[in-house]
Amino acid sequence: MTPPALDSIVIAGLRQLQPPGEPDVLKEVLQLFLDDVPVRIERLRAAWQAGNAVEMQRAAHSLKGSAGNIGANDLLAVCKVLDEQGKSGDLANLPGVVASLDAEFARVEAEIQRLIA
Amino acid sequence: MAPVRVLVADDEPVSRTVVGAMLKKAGYQVTFASDGEQAWQQLAAPNPPAIALLDWEMPGMAGPEVAERIRARGEQTPTYVILLTSRDSSADIVTGLKAGANDYVTKPANEDELIARVRSLEEALANVKALQTLLPMCAYCKAIRNDQNYWEKVETYFHDRSGVSFSHGYCPNCYDRFVKPQLDALEDVTQAQRQQKGRP
Repeated sequence: MTPPALDSIVIAGLRQLQPPGEPDVLKEVLQLFLDDVPVRIERLRAAWQAGNAVEMQRAAHSLKGSAGNIGANDLLAVCKVLDEQGKSGDLANLPGVVASLDAEFARVEAEIQRLIA
Repeated sequence: MAPVRVLVADDEPVSRTVVGAMLKKAGYQVTFASDGEQAWQQLAAPNPPAIALLDWEMPGMAGPEVAERIRARGEQTPTYVILLTSRDSSADIVTGLKAGANDYVTKPANEDELIARVRSLEEALANVKALQTLLPMCAYCKAIRNDQNYWEKVETYFHDRSGVSFSHGYCPNCYDRFVKPQLDALEDVTQAQRQQKGRP
């Protein structure tokens, strides 16, 4: 069985941040994730295609931060690989990793849609 | 008392929003910046936030650089800096602290840890503020005049403001000046009493 796309403990942590009478923090954070992360993934893909390791690493690093904050652990793991590869400057053998980045994001996106529906 | 203002500077919106929500829940007033430049604008303005949480990697100006600029200004009560970092190697942390950061938190931030660290800086800041004013002190009895125009014992004054406690003793100079003469006088009295008792 595949593990859930989002860590339930992290999601519960975000849910309890909401002060009474204030907007829904969990919903706000998840919506931000959906708005912001695809842009960064495209930036990463463009940098990788252009062979720009520095830009790719930067994008992977910020994606790592976003994924970590919502408990998207598998997405985080893929971003970690891209971050490290970007640091080493070795962009060969990455097509598979970039593809799994898309697949993991799709899984997270579906889970978010379910949560904020 | 007005809530303490905390700046959260991070170019990544998810992280910025989560950290901001943690601080708001803990009762802080939060302002945001999405890069180092924006953060510096808020910190260099009059009446800056008391505490700043700065992401290590931001476009333009990174967290440690902002911390260094704050320190270079040499303000009496500079904004306290906590660096947010996904790097956890000790060499990086040392670099950040050397640049002038007061503390660091690794990302993604754990709510309890983050709030505990902000609270401890807030307390340190309050103590510095309470102690930094020029204190009127009595030249004879060393009592300190407090803000309510009331003369307090020096021990009470510092204990109330910084939590410091005093143990009482005497220094060698005061031993010779005050304690020894008293002991000698006591010795004389006992000797005189003994002599009186010995008389027939």
